[in-house]
Amino acid sequence: MNGLKERLDRLRASAMAAQAGEKREETESAVSEQTVDGVMIDKADDGGDHPLHPVFRRYGVEVCSNEAGSFLLRRIVYPFPYRHGRYALEDLNDCTPHLQPVAWRQNRTDKRKRWMPETAADYPAPQSSGLLFLDTETTGLGVGTGNVPFMIGIGRCTEEAFIIEQTLIRHPGEERAMLTWLLEQFHGVTHLVTYNGRTFDWPVLANRFILNGWRRSSVEPGHLDFLHPSRALWKNTLPTCRLSTVEEERLGVVRGDDVPGSLAPELYFRYLREGNPEHLYGVFVHNEKDVLALASLAVHFGHLLGGGLGAAAPDPTDAEERFRTGAWLEQHGQLSEAERLYDLLAATEQGAGSGEIGWRLALAAKYKRHGSLHRALPMWEQAASLSEASRLPRLEAHLELAIHYEHRIKDYGSALRYAEVALELARRRIALARISAAGKQERERLERRINRLKRKLQREHGPPVTGRCSERI
Amino acid sequence: MEEWLSQLRTRKEIMENVTFWHTQPARPSRTTSLPEEVHPKLKLALEAKGIRELYTHQAAAFHSVTAGRHVVTVTPTASGKTLCYNLPVLQTLLHDDSARALYLFPTKALAQDQVAELQELADLMEADIKTHTYDGDTPPTVRQVIRNAGHIVVTNPDMLHSAILPHHTKWVKLFENLRYIIIDELHAYRGVFGSHVANVIRRLKRICQFYGSNPQFLCASATIRNPKQHAERLIGESVDLNDDNGAPAGEKHLIFYNPPVVNQQLGIRRSSVLESQKLAGLLLRDGIQTIVFARSRVRVEILLTYLQDLVKQELGTKSIRGYRGGYLPKLRREIERGLRSGEIRGVVSTNALELGIDIGQLQACVLNGYPGSIASTWQQSGRAGRRHGSSVTFLVASSNPLDQYLIQNPDYFLGTAPEEARIHPDNLLILLDHVKCAAYELPFEEGDKFGEEKLSDLLEFLAEEKVLHRVGSRWYWMEQGFPAHNISLRSAAQENFIIIDVTAGHKVIGEVDRFGAPTLIHEEAIYLHEGVQYQVEKLDYPEKKAYVREVNVDYFTDANLATELKVLHIDQEAQEGPLLRQYGEVTVTAKPTIFKKIRLRTHENIGSGPIHLPEEELQTSGYWFSFSEEETAKRSANDMQMALLGLANVLVHLAPLHLMCDPMDIRVVPQVKAIHNKRPTIYFYDRYPGGIGLSQRLYELHGELLKEAGRLIRGCGCLSGCPACVGPIEEVGLLGKDLALSLLDGMRVSS
Repeated sequence: MNGLKERLDRLRASAMAAQAGEKREETESAVSEQTVDGVMIDKADDGGDHPLHPVFRRYGVEVCSNEAGSFLLRRIVYPFPYRHGRYALEDLNDCTPHLQPVAWRQNRTDKRKRWMPETAADYPAPQSSGLLFLDTETTGLGVGTGNVPFMIGIGRCTEEAFIIEQTLIRHPGEERAMLTWLLEQFHGVTHLVTYNGRTFDWPVLANRFILNGWRRSSVEPGHLDFLHPSRALWKNTLPTCRLSTVEEERLGVVRGDDVPGSLAPELYFRYLREGNPEHLYGVFVHNEKDVLALASLAVHFGHLLGGGLGAAAPDPTDAEERFRTGAWLEQHGQLSEAERLYDLLAATEQGAGSGEIGWRLALAAKYKRHGSLHRALPMWEQAASLSEASRLPRLEAHLELAIHYEHRIKDYGSALRYAEVALELARRRIALARISAAGKQERERLERRINRLKRKLQREHGPPVTGRCSERI
Repeated sequence: MEEWLSQLRTRKEIMENVTFWHTQPARPSRTTSLPEEVHPKLKLALEAKGIRELYTHQAAAFHSVTAGRHVVTVTPTASGKTLCYNLPVLQTLLHDDSARALYLFPTKALAQDQVAELQELADLMEADIKTHTYDGDTPPTVRQVIRNAGHIVVTNPDMLHSAILPHHTKWVKLFENLRYIIIDELHAYRGVFGSHVANVIRRLKRICQFYGSNPQFLCASATIRNPKQHAERLIGESVDLNDDNGAPAGEKHLIFYNPPVVNQQLGIRRSSVLESQKLAGLLLRDGIQTIVFARSRVRVEILLTYLQDLVKQELGTKSIRGYRGGYLPKLRREIERGLRSGEIRGVVSTNALELGIDIGQLQACVLNGYPGSIASTWQQSGRAGRRHGSSVTFLVASSNPLDQYLIQNPDYFLGTAPEEARIHPDNLLILLDHVKCAAYELPFEEGDKFGEEKLSDLLEFLAEEKVLHRVGSRWYWMEQGFPAHNISLRSAAQENFIIIDVTAGHKVIGEVDRFGAPTLIHEEAIYLHEGVQYQVEKLDYPEKKAYVREVNVDYFTDANLATELKVLHIDQEAQEGPLLRQYGEVTVTAKPTIFKKIRLRTHENIGSGPIHLPEEELQTSGYWFSFSEEETAKRSANDMQMALLGLANVLVHLAPLHLMCDPMDIRVVPQVKAIHNKRPTIYFYDRYPGGIGLSQRLYELHGELLKEAGRLIRGCGCLSGCPACVGPIEEVGLLGKDLALSLLDGMRVSS
């Protein structure tokens, strides 16, 4: 049997041959980069204590040590008043308690917390001093045990300033020291403020704690994950709900040439290989901006829930967003504020396009549920005429109106007219979608309705009326 | 059944083809009383199921487990094997609510059967023992409950590999309290799959150690020659062997049936498919519930079509069903239920039903062709006749040399122990794959062990490849990927091609593995599913989809594969007379070339067409032997070609017999002028990247293999070559047999 090393070498040789072209380019670029950087001071992989690279010092990074070892820490203080985009971060102190309904919705099912109250009103309002804004940069995707957060940025609000601290591990062996420090920072923290932290950052951190011998407990902080409210408000009006999109479109923040988060792992691996801190500067800045955006979002949502809409925070101009904001406020107990937005909507000029149909239908459904049919009717009528003009028609409004005229008003003629248009629209939908079992059912239901209405009409007036409305289309 | 058999003995037209009739007498049960320490609740539950005593092997397993030993139980089908592990597990769980057990089954179907059985016992005990399956079908909402509160988690190795181990931090409760790991159907973990599973178990043990648990392994296996050795290689621990079967068994008849010769000159026998169909038809018509095993999916479908046709008057087509890997789970469950209830009277299956899926007790079994190994033969025939009453198994030989060898040498079959299960967990590629996964799960430390190779070399290699990062004496995973996602335990399983019927709308009707795709579902191929013919209209190779349409034609298709072989490195060699034999690394490229249309029933060739598919490359280990120039010069190039081809035809069938591998795992290629040494050569290679030790073993068995080949050729009754030895004369010429023999003699004389 030949030696293991020899076999490994052959394995490598064949893998190299397979992707020769690709590989060559990669090595060339790596080499040229090294010469540009000139110096290669310390390769960050000997595991021992080594002096801090001067470049790190330039970035404001220092060595932090505790009983579990050492890691790097960068601290940035933003003395108040400090404005990030549209909002002043000192407003956090007043805005935070308004986030209470969001906090309750996101934490009420936390089984570890025995003290969880039954109702929103009994949930303690969060205070700015209890918030820890948190964003991690990790070596991979997913929440498997091999995904390591190499940088953790945390932000805190005090009376005088907003303070960001960013950790960096120079190699995975420093993780334990970093986690030990992080755990100390959790002291007094009621909520972690994150963007998708409930499903990503926190599970990843929980993995790391368990891997390092800690166990989960009932004193874990709660969550304020802003991805959920962002989606609720902007899912249909922003191209994506990524934090960078949200801050630029709604918080008035311009990032400039930011290193995208998706490049962070590769930059860290490069740092590990070459020991050059310059690879990481962009990651530090990106992470810092993310934490600031989180604070800014907290102010925004706080204003929305604290009655500041239209004043401290601008009223949404887009009808769809106005509706979604109203619905979100309603969901979080801000009924009068929601009403105000709905009234604004009801007065909105008739726009065009299928995007205008959705919120009208949803608003009409809300009115119908609350028994305000007189307010639902104009919404349905608008939605109906928009649908008829739309290339992608929806038939809900016609159906509602057919039901309304048949059962409440007993005006079978109008009901039939709406039912027949609905059938026409259903046919157009089916033709667009080619085949659809559901569409076929819908059509059959409509045909039954039309037949029934014709019978009713016949009983009332004699011979049936047809064709009148298809001319309108 | 006895009546049917005595009638059979009077039917001359059948009996003249029976070459051997073996009767295994009924065996009484041997039992002992329930051990004293068995928990009273468990005792009551067992009594409620009519169990008042234990079979000797069940008691032995219980005592070994109590003594803290790892155990492997080896007894035949339907001998009460599951109680061997369920008893100690439930005993422990009744005493300790925090204890946990992990059950591994090779397939999802087996896992579901198991949960039903455990749940029944738990209910009878009125104990709060939660048993859950955890597989790809488990809804996300239930997963969290299972992770925290499931006492018994039933899963498969693939799920353990890709979902549980890489997320072990979510399973803290399980791993901290894991007392037992149950591995049933141990024999299924052989070859490539077994080699992967052995590594998954290495990872599992590493995780357990991290959480401070030290579980016992309770294994169960069908009969193989080396259960203890196999279990020990798979789990890396020494185990107690428990094989003293105390379960009763009814009388069993094993009948060897050789289809009659229809052309003495060409040595052609009647088709084994037609003969199997005849025998199965006789059984089914007389109301005997029968299972028919066939070697390939295509065979299954052909037999199914024939049989449904044959008995549709008496029984209706729904009472005879097919069963094989490509069927979707729902259909399979339906067939299993039908077999248990007796509603389905006959089933035609591939070895998919060989595993312990519960289909009740059948009375008769027809094997269309030798299943490839002695162990499989017993396992498949065990489907007929379980505890009481007689049963019968027919082995219908096909014309391939291996079948003919066995049917003419029944002593070999009965006198030889079943084959060994072989795994090669330290196959470099497989090992590296799992070292990556293991590093993802937990960092490696200097001095850690993982497999038999020097771990630090592997870790250093992976660090150089920038997958791991070394800090001091530790190696950390430092890569963006999730390694388990790119590693499939069953090389072909993950890359299945799905088959979409577009006859009316789009409907997925089945799947084919990647190796099967080029030859089974190339464009224009006839694909058979549940006895219905479909023609492949379009094969979307990158998307792994085949679009088929129902057709009604009188032929099926058979594809040819062209292979090219290059030697990369020679690891071992030996010169014996004119023969040089070598072992090393090879590269094989394979490309499907043409397909033939073959008429149903008459099997004549009625046309062909090209196949346009990309070439596949395989780097693996191989063994080959070449002849000296002197020996080569003794005959013309053409004669040499015929001799090599004849010899290869024999060896391709003998090699799997000696290796207990699937005939698909090893390939044989003869070349008159090999690329690497310009000499006449016969190659053998493992059909898996990196090799799994098969050709290495053949290199060692070389002498025995050639001796066996000589015996087979000489012993064949044909005149100048037939499909049962060197191949038909159309292939090897009129002198094929003599040429092959002279080549064999040439080696012997000179050595």
